[in-house]
Amino acid sequence: MAKGNSIGDAFSLVLLLGPFLGLWLLFWLVPLLLGVDLSLQNSAWHSEAVHENQYANASKYVGSSNFQRVAEDPKFYKAVRNSTYYVVGTVLLILPLAFALALSLRGMNRLPRGIFVFCLMVPGLAMPGVLSTLFYLFFHGRTGALNHYLIIPLGLKPINWMMDPHFILPSMILQSIWRWTGMVTLFFLCGMESVPRWQLEAARLEGAGTWLKIRSIWIPSIRNLGLFAGVFLAVDGFASFSGAYVLLGGSGGILDSGLLFVTYVYQVAFPGGGGRFDFPAAAAMSLMVAPALALLLFLTLRLRKFLSWE
Amino acid sequence: MIRLFAWFTASLGALLCLYPFLWMFLSSFKTNREIYEPTLLFPQSYEWGAFASLLNGEYLAFFQSFGNSLVLSGGQAFLATMVSAGAGFALAKFRFRWAGVFFFLALMLIIFPKQSLAVSMFEWLGILGWQGSLWSLMLPGAVTGLGVVFFLQLFRNLPDEWLEIARIEGLSAWRTFQLLVPLAFPGLVTFFLLHFVLSWQEHLLPLLALDEESMTLPLALTKLRDASFRIPEAVSMAAATLSILPVALMFAVCFRLMKSALREVTHS
Repeated sequence: MAKGNSIGDAFSLVLLLGPFLGLWLLFWLVPLLLGVDLSLQNSAWHSEAVHENQYANASKYVGSSNFQRVAEDPKFYKAVRNSTYYVVGTVLLILPLAFALALSLRGMNRLPRGIFVFCLMVPGLAMPGVLSTLFYLFFHGRTGALNHYLIIPLGLKPINWMMDPHFILPSMILQSIWRWTGMVTLFFLCGMESVPRWQLEAARLEGAGTWLKIRSIWIPSIRNLGLFAGVFLAVDGFASFSGAYVLLGGSGGILDSGLLFVTYVYQVAFPGGGGRFDFPAAAAMSLMVAPALALLLFLTLRLRKFLSWE
Repeated sequence: MIRLFAWFTASLGALLCLYPFLWMFLSSFKTNREIYEPTLLFPQSYEWGAFASLLNGEYLAFFQSFGNSLVLSGGQAFLATMVSAGAGFALAKFRFRWAGVFFFLALMLIIFPKQSLAVSMFEWLGILGWQGSLWSLMLPGAVTGLGVVFFLQLFRNLPDEWLEIARIEGLSAWRTFQLLVPLAFPGLVTFFLLHFVLSWQEHLLPLLALDEESMTLPLALTKLRDASFRIPEAVSMAAATLSILPVALMFAVCFRLMKSALREVTHS
């Protein structure tokens, strides 16, 4: 289907699109431009020091020095690396898992299928903070469920999930999988239902095996949906804050091995105790991940075909 | 064989997703010592002490933050549904200049979400003088890229003939939208719910922008778990249970409606 083919009158189009455009300008573009402005300012201007007149003759704008400061900060790279691992881990695990679950659920009758999907969605409805609390109390710890039901029966040594720097990030990934898989499964199931019946009939008559059907019917039926879910999960993962904040109490965990990007931006902008509120550096950080976002934008633009709107 | 395997996978998944929440609910009756034994499911005795002290506001004004969350998420979701439905309808059904630009704006919103602009958003709300109150976050939460894409997909499936009829009748695009939008009721409800959940879970912006009085649930829950207050774990478990109830209830009631709407949206 082509994109819209009626001609709308200008007045109505303003009514329909105006609110969106207005809010977009006010609460997306303005903060973005403010961020650019902030990132070029002298960070001393934003701390109390301004009032002591100490920096009175220092210029307000300092050019790219905030960016240089961030570029030399090893913690920034650590945070970006952790976030990247986190995003890649969640996306690569959630999509196949959700696909497998959707395939398993597809063959069931309506009632049990609905009940199962709803059960799978429950963690997605809970707040990430609640999930973190549950993770902390229920799954982690020496006697926690993960150790008790999975690691010890496998004959391995119990893992200290929260304190061992190797396992903080994986446990955060597990938490994200737990949260999103149900939602993605629901979307995949709905996508699979749009496969026309004659295709399945044809496959049955041809005597296609399970693998062939998966490859030639089911994967194509959710390919675009999967790409979209992947982009959404990547963005959400990169912007995720609540889960890690509650799990690690706002810190980065042992050796900062659980330090995520947004958590670090928050730490720089609002340090606890006597730290300096370094808004300019925080704004510079937010802008420095733009190349990664350009890649995502490229992926999203490929979706236009799926959105049948070119 | 495959069927059996499918049932096994699904049951395992459902168990993993439900059991911890059951444990959470039952933990609101437990003592700290019992809670630190995660393999224990049932408490020794059922006393509603944790719920009572939570609802009486012994630690913090729980009812107030619950209400704040309901108002904020409900308002954001309602506004977002209206704004996005209009934009999505225009993009799906009308041909006009700059349409591509609007679509691009929506995509930008998706890939550069407001959480990543949190610091400058904080600054901006300060300039507007909105900091602190619940209303300050209502409008920023009402603009969403996902919504525009969602409604674009949804309205695409409306038959073009109806628009043709509206055009012959001489109705303006705005009037056509008003007449046709009730047909998309399942879609409207679905998007309302999805946005409600996302804003119900929002933590970073409320943490930055809201003051003590207009604290939302995620902030209240974090506060209950704050080690320096020495609040029994059972209380935070009770609060967590109560925080899930409204969303789970809403999803359970509208689940069938949601599935039918999502089938249309995901139809490619």
